[in-house]
Amino acid sequence: MRFGYGYMKLSPLLLGMVLVATPLAAAPVDFAREILPLLSDNCFHCHGPSETGRKAGLRLDLREGALRVKDGKASIVPGKPDESELVKRLYTSDPEDLMPPPESHRSLTPAQKDLLKRWVAEGAVWGKHWAFEPVKSAPVPAVRAAGWARNDLDRFIQARLESEGMKPSEEAALPTLARRVALDLVGLPPAESESGRLASEPMAVAYESYVDRLLASPAFGERMASEWLDLSRYADTYGFQADVERDLSPWRDWVVDAINRNLPYDQFLLWQIAGDLLPGATQEQRLATAYSRLHRQTNEGGSIEEEWRSEYVSDRVHTVGTSVLGLTMECSRCHDHKYDPISQRDYYALSAFFNNIDESGLYSHFTAATPTPTMFLYKEGQEARHEALKTSVDRAWKAYHEAVAKTAVPAAGGGIELPKPVARYAFDGVEGGRSPNAVSTNGAAEGAIRLVSEGAGKVLEFDGDDAVVCKGVGRFGRSDPFSIGLRVRPAELKARAVVFHRSTAWTDSGSRGYELVLDAGRPFFALIHFWPGNALAVRAKKPLPVGQWSHVTVTYDGSSRAAGAKIYVDGEPVECEVVRDNLYKDIRHRGEWGDSDGNGLSLSLGARFRDNGFRKGQVDDLEVYDLTLTSGEVARVAGNPRPWTEQQQREWQAVRRDAAVARLASEARRLTEEEDRFVTGLREIMAMREMPGRRPTFVLARGAYDAPGEAVDPGVPEKIFPFGDGRPLNRLGFAQWLIDPQHPLTARVVVNRIWKHHFGRGLVPTVEDFGMQGRAPSHPELLDWLAHRFMASGWDRKALHRLIVTSATYRQATVVTPEMAQKDPENVLLGRGPRHRWSAEVVRDRALAVSGLLVGKMGGRSVKPYQPAGVWEESGTGKTYTQDHGEALYRRSLYTFWRRTAPPPSMLTFDAPSREVCTAKREATATPMQALVLLNDPQFLEAARVIATSVWTGAGEDRVRARKAFRRVIGREAAAREEEILLRLLSEQRAVFRDKPESATKYVSIGEYPRSGNLPPEELAAATVLVSALMNHDEFVTKR
Amino acid sequence: MNAPLCTGPLPALGLGRRQFLNRFGLGLGGLALGGLMSPGALRASEAMDHGLLGAPHGAPKAKRVIYLFMSGGPSQLETWDYKPLLNERHGQELPDSVRMGQRLTGMSGNQASLPLAGSAFQFARHGKSGTWVSELLPHTAKVVDDLCVVRSYFTEAINHDPAITFLQTGSQVSGRPSLGSWVHYGLGSSNENLPAFVVLITRGKVDQPLYSRLWGNGFLPARHQGVQFRSGREPVLYLNNPEGIDGPGRRVMLDRLRELHEIQREQTGDAELDARIAQYEMAYRMQSSVPEVTDLGSEPQHVRDLYGPDVSKPGTFAANCLLARRLAERGVKFIQLYHQGWDQHGGLPGGIRQQCKETDHPCYGLLTDLKQRGLLDDTLVVWNGEFGRTNYSQGKLGKTDYGRDHHPRCFSGWMAGAGIKAGTVYGATDEFGYNVVENPVHVHDLNATLMHLMGIDHERLTYRYQGRDFRLTDVHGTVVKGILA
Repeated sequence: MRFGYGYMKLSPLLLGMVLVATPLAAAPVDFAREILPLLSDNCFHCHGPSETGRKAGLRLDLREGALRVKDGKASIVPGKPDESELVKRLYTSDPEDLMPPPESHRSLTPAQKDLLKRWVAEGAVWGKHWAFEPVKSAPVPAVRAAGWARNDLDRFIQARLESEGMKPSEEAALPTLARRVALDLVGLPPAESESGRLASEPMAVAYESYVDRLLASPAFGERMASEWLDLSRYADTYGFQADVERDLSPWRDWVVDAINRNLPYDQFLLWQIAGDLLPGATQEQRLATAYSRLHRQTNEGGSIEEEWRSEYVSDRVHTVGTSVLGLTMECSRCHDHKYDPISQRDYYALSAFFNNIDESGLYSHFTAATPTPTMFLYKEGQEARHEALKTSVDRAWKAYHEAVAKTAVPAAGGGIELPKPVARYAFDGVEGGRSPNAVSTNGAAEGAIRLVSEGAGKVLEFDGDDAVVCKGVGRFGRSDPFSIGLRVRPAELKARAVVFHRSTAWTDSGSRGYELVLDAGRPFFALIHFWPGNALAVRAKKPLPVGQWSHVTVTYDGSSRAAGAKIYVDGEPVECEVVRDNLYKDIRHRGEWGDSDGNGLSLSLGARFRDNGFRKGQVDDLEVYDLTLTSGEVARVAGNPRPWTEQQQREWQAVRRDAAVARLASEARRLTEEEDRFVTGLREIMAMREMPGRRPTFVLARGAYDAPGEAVDPGVPEKIFPFGDGRPLNRLGFAQWLIDPQHPLTARVVVNRIWKHHFGRGLVPTVEDFGMQGRAPSHPELLDWLAHRFMASGWDRKALHRLIVTSATYRQATVVTPEMAQKDPENVLLGRGPRHRWSAEVVRDRALAVSGLLVGKMGGRSVKPYQPAGVWEESGTGKTYTQDHGEALYRRSLYTFWRRTAPPPSMLTFDAPSREVCTAKREATATPMQALVLLNDPQFLEAARVIATSVWTGAGEDRVRARKAFRRVIGREAAAREEEILLRLLSEQRAVFRDKPESATKYVSIGEYPRSGNLPPEELAAATVLVSALMNHDEFVTKR
Repeated sequence: MNAPLCTGPLPALGLGRRQFLNRFGLGLGGLALGGLMSPGALRASEAMDHGLLGAPHGAPKAKRVIYLFMSGGPSQLETWDYKPLLNERHGQELPDSVRMGQRLTGMSGNQASLPLAGSAFQFARHGKSGTWVSELLPHTAKVVDDLCVVRSYFTEAINHDPAITFLQTGSQVSGRPSLGSWVHYGLGSSNENLPAFVVLITRGKVDQPLYSRLWGNGFLPARHQGVQFRSGREPVLYLNNPEGIDGPGRRVMLDRLRELHEIQREQTGDAELDARIAQYEMAYRMQSSVPEVTDLGSEPQHVRDLYGPDVSKPGTFAANCLLARRLAERGVKFIQLYHQGWDQHGGLPGGIRQQCKETDHPCYGLLTDLKQRGLLDDTLVVWNGEFGRTNYSQGKLGKTDYGRDHHPRCFSGWMAGAGIKAGTVYGATDEFGYNVVENPVHVHDLNATLMHLMGIDHERLTYRYQGRDFRLTDVHGTVVKGILA
C-alpha cells in the first residue's frame, strides 16, 4: 500500500495537491500526474517496458498494449469500465484474479481504484510521463494579493498558496537574510565589514547589491563545487581495497573556476563529457574530461582486468544518468528498466560512448603510473616547448633515416665485423646454480635454471612459474637502442606465454618495462610505460612453430616509435602488425614518480609475476646488444646463411661505417633523451581520449563482463529523447544530445537541484530520479518556467541563483506557526522561508571563518587537517594519516583530503558521502555523534578559543563581550534572555575553572594555532566554553 | 496494511514520531526523551526507537546478533571441511572434471600447475554430534554441539573488496546499506544509551583492508551507520571531553545550551528543536555509557579466563569478544566484529595456525559465557569469512608449506545460538572440497536467514531509493530452513 500511504491516506498536503489539480470533481483525470504513477507503482513491474518477466504478454505502459484484445477481452475498453478487464481485476474478490496480486505486496486504496475506473470511463486518455514531455514555457499565474511578489517566480508560489487558502510569511530580518544568503551562496558568513555596509544602504538596494557581491566572490565557486563533486564522485584516492592516493585536484580546481566565471551549464557539461573531442580542444577542455575518470579503480591482486574495466564504463553511465539526466540507468544494466523506457540495449548503447578509451581495468600496484588515457598538464610555456622538442625529435629521426637510405653501397663487401653483445648465454653449463655470461664474469643467469640435453649441448627449459634472471643485464629505457636474440622452442600452443621481459609484473605493474611474449604463438614485442595506453607494441602475424626451434631477434632503435621496433624470425624480418604506437614516458621504474624501486630488475626469462609462463618452453643462445642490430647483422646472429641484399648492405654501411650518419643518429638520440627528460618532469593526469577505431560494445547478460551478447552501436534511450540526425556518433554527439534545448531532462534536473540548494527540497523531491518512480513536482509549471528561462538565459547558473535568492519566497522568515505545522509540515508550498541543516562543509568553514582562522587560498592538492588518530590505520592498509600543519589546517573543507574507504570522520558524521559513487542527495540528519564533533573536535574548540581570545582581550563588560561573541558566531543580535543565559554560563564556567588553572590551560591549548594575549587561562577557558556553546547552537548548524 | 514504506510527508503536528526518528538520529541508541520533550510531542512509552517496523514481521528467535567476521577468507580445508582425499592426492593436478572451467583469479590462474594440497592439519570428530573439527580449533571443538556448521556457503565474487561488500551489504556494488544498518532500520534499538549497531575491529592486523562502507548506511539515513568502538583512550570518535573539561563543567554548559535551544524553539515554532535538544542529551549519556561498557576490567577473572590469555590486551579479538558479550547484555542489536588476516596465499600452515590461535579460544569463551548467562538462547552468533580457499596450492607446493588462492565456489562457517539447530552440519562439498554438492547456501540465503531469525521478512523490509524498493537480498535469498531449530 505504498502509494496509498504516501499520497492519500496520510498526507493532507499531497491530497491537497491532487485537489488543486482537479479542483472540481468533474474535471478530467490527469493521466500523467494521477494515473501513470499508479500504473507505474502497481503494474509496471510485470506489465511495463521490461520484456523479461512480463506477465501474460501484457504491457500497460503503452496505449496499444492496454487496448489489445486477447481472447475476446481487453484490459481497457475506453469509456467502458465495466467491460475493461483491468477495472474488473481491481475490484474482484477472487484472490486468483486480483490485481495487483496479493503476493506482490502491492495494493491500491479504494480511492485509487475509483480514480482508475473514472479514468477509463472518461475514455482512458493517454499521455507521457511528465518529465519526458518537452519543457513548456508556462504562463505566469495571476495572484490575488498584490504587493508581495518580487518576481514571477513568487507569483507561482503565491498563486498556489492562495489556492490552498494560505499566505506567505513576512520577510526575514536583514541580518538573518544576509547570513542565509551568504552561507547559501559562498558558504561563509557575512564579513563583519558587510554588516555596516548593509545597514547603511537603503534596504531596497542593500540586499540585492550584497547578492551581487556574493555572486562575484571566488568563494561562490568553492561553495557550489561541493555538490558537483558529490555527483562526480571526486576524491583523492582510487577507492576499493588498497585505496591508493591519486591527485585529481586540477580537475576540482577547474570546476571551481568554471563556476566562478559562470561557464554556461551546457558548456560545463559539454566540456566534461567531450571536451577532448571539441575542434582545437584546449588543455582546459581536455582537463574537464577527467570527469569520466573520477570513478573508483582497483589494483587488487588477481582481479580480472575486463571485469573491472566494464565496471568503470558502467560507473560513467550511472554517473551521467543520475547527475545530468536524473535517471536510474543502473536498473537497465541487467534487464530492461521496469518502469522507465530504457531497455537493456539502450543501457549498453549509451555505455558504448564511454567504452572507447585505451584503458586498463587495473591500476598499477608497483608503479605510480597514471592510468591511461592521460594528458600532460603543461604550465606556462611548457606546451610550446614540448611541441618544439617533439618536432625536432621527428626531424632528427627523419634526417637519420633519409641519410641511411641515401648511403651508397660500396663496390666490394669488405670485412664485416659483427657488433659485440653485452651478454651472451650458451646455457651449456651450470656453476653454483648459475649459467655463465660468456661476455663477462658479471651478469650470470640465475634462478630456476634447468638445463636439458639437446644434441651435443644443452638448452634451458622452463617450468612456467619461475623465471631465470640475467642479473644486472638489460636495463634499457625508452631512449636506449637495444637488441635481443635467442633460440626458442615452444612446447605447446598457448594463449599467452612470456619468453622474456624486464619488468616487475604484468597487470600489477601495468607491464612497465619491455617484453617478448608469445600471443597465441605469435611473437609480440612491446615497450610499455603503462599498458595499454602508454606503450608501443608490434606483433608478428604468424605463430612460431610448436615443437621446433626458431631464432627470434627483436631490435629497437630508441625512438619511442613502433616503427623502431622490429621482430625477426630465423634472421628474416617478419610481417608484423602495430598493436600500439603511443609510448610517451619511460619504461623504467623511476623514484621521482613514486614507483617502487626497479633497480634490481634484470632481463628475465620464462616467467613473470602472475603472468602466464613459458611452460615446458625451451630457449638457447641468448644474446643481448646495447645497439640496434641491422637487418643483416640479425641474419648473421641467427646463423642465416643467405647473402645480404643490397638494402642490408646499404643499411650496414650507413650505420656502421658512415660518420655523418652516426652523427645524425647520435643527434636523434640526444634529442630523444632530452624530450624524455622533459616529459619526466611534466605533471600528468587522467583524461578522456578516444581510441582509434571503435571498441565493440555488447549487451552483457545480467551485466556480467563475461557474458557478452548482441553487439550494439552507440546510442541513447530514444523513447526519452531521440538522438536525431547530424550529430557525430561519439561522446561529442552524446554531449550535444544532452544539452539540446529540446531535451526534456537536462535543464529540469539542474534547475531542480539549484532549487533544492536554496530551499532544502527540490520542486521534484527526488532530485536523483525524474523517472516514473520519482515523485511528481510540487509546482510543475514553475519547474518548467524556470527550466525554460534558464535555457533562454544561456544556461546561466548565477542568474538563476540570483533570481531565487532575490525572490520574496526565499526572503521569508522561517517561523513555523501551528497552522503551518499542521497544514504543511514539510514546507512544500513554501509559505515560509527555508530551514534545513547546513552541510558538513558549511558548518566547518563557518567555524573557521568566524574565528578568522580561515585561509582563503584557493586550489591545489588536498590538505589533511585535524583527524582523530588511528582512523586510517584501523582500516588495515598500513597507511598512516599524516596531519598537515600551519595554514593547511584552516583551508576550506572543499580541500580536505578525501580517502574513499576511510573518509574524514567529522565530515561523514555530518552526512557527507564517501564519494565512492555518484551521490545526488545528502541527507540532513541530526545525531548525537554530530553533537560530539561540535563539542569535542579540536577544529571547533580551537576556533572557539581564538574567538574568545579576541573578544575577551582588553577592557570591557561581560555583557558587551557576550553580545559581541554571539553576534560574531551566530550572526545576529542576542535577545535579552539569551544574553542572560550566556552571562550565567560564563560565571558558572569561571567557577568551574577557578581553582583549576591546569585544566584551563589544557583546554585553551587545544589546536596548533598559538595562544596570544595575556588573558589568564581560567578566564580564557570560561570564555571559550561560551563560544563553544554558541557553535553548538541551532542557528550555527541550521539555516534560519 | 503493509509496512509503510513511504519516506514522504507525515501529517502529525510538527513531525510524526517515525519521521522524527528518521530525521533525528536518535535511533543511535534509541530515545528516552520523555522528560525532555515538549508536552504532547512524544509520550515516554513511545519514545523508544522501535525501528521502521514497529514490531517484527515474525516472532524473532534472536534479539541480537554477534557477527564474527573472519576477513580475508579463512581456509575451509584447514578448519571445518575435512577432505582426506586431498591428502591422498597431494601434489596431483586439479582434475578439469572438478574445476569445470570455472574462473580463477589472476594470482594463481596463470600458474603452470595447479597441484592439489592436502591439509597439513589433523581432523577428529568432536562432541555428541561427532562433527569433524581441525586440530587448529581445540577450544571451539569443545562447544561444537552448540554449533551448526555450514559447509556449503558459496558466493559470486572472487576478490576481497567485492566479496566482503557482497556479504555485508548484499551487493558487490558500493552504496548499499550494511546488514547491521538494515537491522537497525527495521528493528530500531533497545538501549537508550548505546548505539544499536556497534563495530569492533581487532587492532593491529595489517592485511586485507576494511572499508567504512562495510558498516555504512548506504542510502539509508546516516543514523543507521554502525558506530565503531575502538580500543584505547577514546572508544568512540569524538566521545571524550576535551582536555581540561570535566563532566560537571560540561553538564552545566549543556544545561545553558538547552535553555538557548528552548528559546529558539519558542521563537521559531520549530519542533525539530526538540530533537536537537535530545541529540545533546543522548551525546552526554553516551559519554558515560560507552566508557562503562568498554571497561573490561570490571569483569571477574574467571569470566575473563574463558576468553583466553589475549583478553587482557585491549583490541584483541578476545577482548572484543568479551566486549561483544557486554554489549549484547545491554541490548545492542547488531555487534559486528572483524578479525583480519585470513588471506593465506602462501605460507598457509603457519599463517592459519596463528589466526586460529588468536580466535579459537575467544570464540569458545564467547559461546560459553553467553550460554552460562542464558544469553545464547536469544543471541545469534555467526562465524564466517567472505569466501573459501582453493583446494590446490597457489605457488609452490612444499612438503610442509603451501598457499591457497581465493575460492568462491564453497566456504564454511558456523552459526550458534538463537533459533539455530545446534550440533549439526549443513551442506556438503565434493570430496575435492571444490564444489558444493548438497544444500548450497548462497550469500543471499545466509542474509535472508539472519534476517528471519531477527524476525524480519527479508522480502518485506525495503527502502525506496531512486524509485526502486531496495532490500538487503535484492530479489533473491531463501531462508535456510535446514539450519533452524
